[in-house]
Amino acid sequence: MICPGCSCLCDDVYIKDGRVFNACRRGREIFAKYSENRTVAKVDGKEVDVDIAIEKAVEILKDAKNPAIYGLDTTVVEAQKLAIDVAEKLNGYIDDNSSFCLGELVEAVLKGELPTTTLDEVRDNAYVLVYWGTNPYHSLSRHLSKYTYYPRGKKRPRGYDEDRFLVVVDVRRSETAVLAKKNARFIRVDDDAELVDSFVKVVEGKAAKYAKDVGVVITEMKKADFNVIFGGLGLKYGLKDLNQFKEMVKKLNEVAPVYFIPAGFHGNMRGFNETLFERVGHVNRYSFGDSKSGEEFAFTELLKNEKIDAALIVGTDPVYSLPFEVSSKLGKIKSIVVDPRMSFTARIADVVIPSAISGVEAGGTMVRSDGVRVKLEPLEEKEINDVYILNKIKEGL
Amino acid sequence: MALNPMDIYKLLPKTNCKKCGEATCMSFAFKLLNREKKLEDCKPLYEDKKYERQRKKLEEMLKPLEEATETGLIVDESLCTGCGNCVVVCPVHVEKDPKGAAVGNGPTIDDPILRVEDGVVKVINMQACRRYGKNRVLCVVCRENCPSDAIRFLEG
Repeated sequence: MICPGCSCLCDDVYIKDGRVFNACRRGREIFAKYSENRTVAKVDGKEVDVDIAIEKAVEILKDAKNPAIYGLDTTVVEAQKLAIDVAEKLNGYIDDNSSFCLGELVEAVLKGELPTTTLDEVRDNAYVLVYWGTNPYHSLSRHLSKYTYYPRGKKRPRGYDEDRFLVVVDVRRSETAVLAKKNARFIRVDDDAELVDSFVKVVEGKAAKYAKDVGVVITEMKKADFNVIFGGLGLKYGLKDLNQFKEMVKKLNEVAPVYFIPAGFHGNMRGFNETLFERVGHVNRYSFGDSKSGEEFAFTELLKNEKIDAALIVGTDPVYSLPFEVSSKLGKIKSIVVDPRMSFTARIADVVIPSAISGVEAGGTMVRSDGVRVKLEPLEEKEINDVYILNKIKEGL
Repeated sequence: MALNPMDIYKLLPKTNCKKCGEATCMSFAFKLLNREKKLEDCKPLYEDKKYERQRKKLEEMLKPLEEATETGLIVDESLCTGCGNCVVVCPVHVEKDPKGAAVGNGPTIDDPILRVEDGVVKVINMQACRRYGKNRVLCVVCRENCPSDAIRFLEG
């Protein structure tokens, strides 16, 4: 089975005698507790039939002047496509969590500004592995053991023992940094821009703040024909300007092949980014009314500036995950929640439509963090899932 | 907390009375740690009242021995996140399961030493561990690569 818990989309998970094998703690919870805390169809707090809730949702969206669709990172590509159709029909806004997550990095990869590769290639070929501003121990538990540092690959038969070189860049000694022992380097940074600058300068043969550490890393990179940088939120928020980083990767590629893969997000966040990118050329925060993408169209900004009057929230819980000053504005607008679970947002929503958990009760396609498309293998197929609901909404408009 | 024979020896009677069958108390301390002897084998410790405080301390100190597996491995499931690093690094798995654990997947053999079950690592087949038996090697790679200190050994 495929675990939809995070963007690793592990494919070796199985259930036997009621026990979940090979999944990490987060993945296990999804399979073991999928029947807990389920939601029911509601309109204005009263329980109703699912079809009535969908009709009410259509009504709200039709009446809205500036509707937005938000979430979609835990659902399948097929549902994401329908959600984009709905946003287009409504002439509204569409956004997912990637606008404050790793959207920018995925966009750079999709536009070809950063050379990329797949995790299977990494397992077989990669020598230097740089984890920059990400702590997979928390975000992608099995990333190191399944795809990168520990496994033995075709051209790296001795695995982490001798055939890999781990570099961890972080502001603190994270759990991942603790693993950087033999054949490894931990670089503690105060300012990511300084380290980016150091990489560029060392390639050019100039003096730099982190010259000692960077020198070692570049020497190691030169030994191999395949090196990778995994960038996380620390990299995105540590740099004011991502162009610096793109320049750095270009510069590094002059001396050794270096690829980039974004690391650390929801199961199908990259799927949303790719689907929207194929359709409109942007990865997130898109306004169909203005036919453009911009920071002001991020769901958090739209809410904060009271630019929207209705929101269709699919498979995410903004009341739980966004700051109170932003999420409290949800109370002022009409909200529709499509979610399998009774989330905090579902408790305050005008319309709640119960859905199926993608990967457990609904099939479809998800996109791994490296862009590989993975077909889900659910335990069962529920009739009412995200695709069914969004299709009904689309038809109703 | 690491257990070492010197700490055990300090609390023994140190009389070398040989009642336990060992030549010295120091040798008895080593055997205790290897679980070849039991604390009850030290007769004076239980018969003589003056050793009562020391005996209680020793009983407290040797508690981890009971929860540890035959090789001295202790897994604290509450700390484990199921990352599977230990399963993949294990040299025995690499040899026996080249298509499974060796390349990063879950074990495909029936009797791996360690396996991630229900989100945490479980000891399945300790006999296969390199630390097991007479010709043991003091291998600690699973502990060395555990990011959450969920794996430890009696010796530290």
